Amino acid sequence: MNWRILSTHLILTIGAIFLTLPVWVAFASSTHTAETILREGLQLFPGGHFFENYNTVLFVEGGVMKKVTALQMTGNSLLLGLGFSIGKVVISMLAAYAIVYFRFRLAVPLFWVIFMTLLLPLEVRIIPSYKVVADLGLLDTQAGLIIPLIASATGTFFFRQFFRSVPDEILEAARLDNANAWRFFIDILVPLSKTMIAAILIIMFVVGWNQYLWPLIMTTKEENYTLVIGIKQIYQILNEGGELPQYQKAFALTILATLPPVLVVLVFQKWFVKGLVESEK
Amino acid sequence: MKRVQFEHSPIPYLFVAPQIIIIVVFFLWPAGQAIYQSFLLEDAFGLSSQFVWFKNYKDTVLNDAWLQSAGFTLFFSAIVTFLSLALALLLAVKANEVIHGASTYKTMLMWAYAIAPPVAGLMGNLMFNPLIGDMYQFMNATGMDFDHKLDGFDAGFVVILISVWKQVSVNFIFFLSGLQGIPKSVIEASTLDCKSSFRRFWTITFPLLAPTTFFLMVINITYAFFETFGIIDTTTQGAPGGATTTLVYKVFQDGFRGADLGGSSAQSVVLMLMVLALTVIQFRFIERKVHY
Amino acid sequence: MKLGNLLRTAVFGAAMVMPTTLLAQTEIQWWHAMGGRLGEVVEEISAKYNASQSDYVLVPTYKGGYEDTMTAGIAAFRAKQQPNLIQIFDAGAATIINAKGATIPVAQLMADYGGGFNVEDYIPGVRGFYADSDGQMIGMPFNSSTPLLYWNKDAFVEAGVDGPPASWEDFEAMAPKFAAAGYQALAQSHSPWIFSENFMSRHNLQMATGNNGFDSTDVKILYNNDELKMHWSKVKEWLDKGWYGFYGRGWGDNQDAFVQKKVAMWLGSSGSFGGLSKSAEFEFGAAYLPYWKSIIDEPKGTFIGGAALFAMSGKSDAENKGVADFLAFLTGPEMQYFWHKETGYVPITNAAYDLAKSDGYYGTTPDAEIGILQLNQPGGEWTKGYRLGYYVQIREVMYSNYEDIFSGKASVDDAFAAIEKDSNVLLQRFADTYK
Repeated sequence: MNWRILSTHLILTIGAIFLTLPVWVAFASSTHTAETILREGLQLFPGGHFFENYNTVLFVEGGVMKKVTALQMTGNSLLLGLGFSIGKVVISMLAAYAIVYFRFRLAVPLFWVIFMTLLLPLEVRIIPSYKVVADLGLLDTQAGLIIPLIASATGTFFFRQFFRSVPDEILEAARLDNANAWRFFIDILVPLSKTMIAAILIIMFVVGWNQYLWPLIMTTKEENYTLVIGIKQIYQILNEGGELPQYQKAFALTILATLPPVLVVLVFQKWFVKGLVESEK
Repeated sequence: MKRVQFEHSPIPYLFVAPQIIIIVVFFLWPAGQAIYQSFLLEDAFGLSSQFVWFKNYKDTVLNDAWLQSAGFTLFFSAIVTFLSLALALLLAVKANEVIHGASTYKTMLMWAYAIAPPVAGLMGNLMFNPLIGDMYQFMNATGMDFDHKLDGFDAGFVVILISVWKQVSVNFIFFLSGLQGIPKSVIEASTLDCKSSFRRFWTITFPLLAPTTFFLMVINITYAFFETFGIIDTTTQGAPGGATTTLVYKVFQDGFRGADLGGSSAQSVVLMLMVLALTVIQFRFIERKVHY
Repeated sequence: MKLGNLLRTAVFGAAMVMPTTLLAQTEIQWWHAMGGRLGEVVEEISAKYNASQSDYVLVPTYKGGYEDTMTAGIAAFRAKQQPNLIQIFDAGAATIINAKGATIPVAQLMADYGGGFNVEDYIPGVRGFYADSDGQMIGMPFNSSTPLLYWNKDAFVEAGVDGPPASWEDFEAMAPKFAAAGYQALAQSHSPWIFSENFMSRHNLQMATGNNGFDSTDVKILYNNDELKMHWSKVKEWLDKGWYGFYGRGWGDNQDAFVQKKVAMWLGSSGSFGGLSKSAEFEFGAAYLPYWKSIIDEPKGTFIGGAALFAMSGKSDAENKGVADFLAFLTGPEMQYFWHKETGYVPITNAAYDLAKSDGYYGTTPDAEIGILQLNQPGGEWTKGYRLGYYVQIREVMYSNYEDIFSGKASVDDAFAAIEKDSNVLLQRFADTYK
């Protein structure tokens, strides 16, 4: 049986390497100079320029017009990630609560309206969405960046499922205590949902941080770039020729763009997996 | 529905309002606009427009470029879905079996979920860069003339590889969780009945994973249809010769680069219908499996 | 009574204060697509302008690449938030010029609000592209360049070749020597621009019906001709022989191949000169775009690529005055010379060209003059450029089919038939839009 265990470990190791090697190479290459990379290609082992490269990328104005640092872009990404996840949780919880716990005339039609958003991923409405946001004067603003993203139905569905699984006895007990709808929500339901909230916050933070298409068309001022967009734009300049391609900076930015969501996922692994799997139901 | 509910309260309207308002402004209105625009032939600046019925559809859908893009999208989605599911399933099964280092493997296989598609695309792009990319050298060293700037097949290979790489983690998480949800009693009983672990897997385990698999299939197809935009935009940009242009990327190109609002709106509407079909299928299947 | 006094004081007080606020500077919003070093120079120009006068403040904003900037401009216009000045590239010219009422022609703007406008001030090669069929300039050419051949002098020494080829026949004769020395002889960026549009101009071939599209939107493309097909058959031959390298669609990728010394010659733009001076570690020179002796004896000039500045309509008189004032500043000889020296783009006025000459610039840097000289070469009937709608998509079609030719997926005949068919469909759509 030994070979069986061996083969299992082998497969797992190969899988692990497959998934982690590219990022390791990116990190290693980011710690070398541009000349080294150009001469020798991608690097497997870290070089000596970690502090220098990351310092330049984080604190020295880079970017297309040299107006933005990676630090600023990280700030923008954080704003987007947090704004998106918090906004989504709040809105979805409120809407799910209303739909599950209230009998009111518009409940069913409103539910379908919310459901319909699953049919309309951003990509099929990017151009009119862009126009709407432009008409509202929200281009290049944090509000315009976050708000259109937070109303999709996924969050509402998570919470709807969760609320439906909450035993009726709890509500009955609360009513016996003369709790009104608002009190019930704040004092009982929300604390009950703590784990769920945490899980959704984590997942949505990663989703928000990693947004690409919408920020790409929505932000044009360099100061508003998120990390994910910044890499793309800077990479384009990298490709314009003219200067020695600064690949090590591109790699450094890639690592910076990946680090926070990865850290969040790793640190909060348990909640994260729970939240993801719960959503399947 | 819950047995116990609140009635006669303004609260539900209040609570549901934020989401509904945003949906109306940023979902329904743009979607309506897209449909409206698809029937117009309008100059980019909006200074002159004519109602042209289905002309935009005729011009931009079902022509060679669109068909090539549709074909690629379907092919691409199928392969990416199949490969990422297959690899993830294999890894999940093995991770479920192993005892030593289980959590380490789990962590290492799961974390790639957090990477954004465009970031994965950029990393892949650099790895395949003719000047510095090891992957590029490697592919050429195996004897074939690898050039993803020139050959549609090679470009497709790059995009598929990166897309699969990114997606394996998600599938892994679900499969592992699904496997761990199979009761021990079932496993033990099956060991008694069937000696071959291989057969055991296919006759017992895999069917039990069916709901998970279906669910993941839909997630993966949606991913391949839409989220791979980030990967394509940062690697091949649909080249060469439109070989790696998915439908959604084409909408972006025609609308955002080419300023053809009517044409890209028509394509958007068609895409909307395709997504509708996908979602209907998803709900049919999921609802059915919930009653297992 | 007291109230009356109070009111009078208030009115006088306000009248005292108001002129001061009126003296606040008028903002001129300028959206451009110049990134990197070029963007820095744009900022410098703005700073110089703002320092030179106190009525207006020019605010340049980088809006992304050419397409992104145009898209942003279009959306802004529809939302009534358009900038005063916007940079639109050659492929977008038809879109913005055909949108009657979207812009104020610069000739008219400067005549009305500025000090006047004389088209003769501008060098012939730049006058036509952004003008209407009567010759009135609608856009002000800003970053104008033209295709040039750059050659690696060291590589030429190694291969034992004297100088750059004047014709493609010469090129074919020398290419094997580069192969022997371990180089690919040629690479090239932006195939549609260099190997199609300017090919037609250089050989004085008509590019589209309707006077290359200037006279009407109801036109057909004329790329599917024997000369262009012959050229591409040759290019494919060269690719197969290893004399030509295709490094993808990206401008930079092909330029890098030259900088990294993989290819001995590179077809780029006159504007590439500045960047190359910084990055190339070898001696290089600039030369005219080669031509086929078999097609034409005396090659004609090429036309400008790049982009122009357009003044958007719907703005106040005060702002329009500011735009005219800035344009006058920008087209002054000193500024043109500055822009020319810093970026390699050609100066658009005769005065600026003369200034550069008298300053001895071309004595120290003769390569910088090649672009203008080529633009000033005798023009033919078809060297004016083109005005074609949906041209971004047409270029996409061209790229697509060129890639098919390179990869062997399509024959030259099939590829050009496809280009013709798809381009005409696009042109027809565009024409329908403006009926």
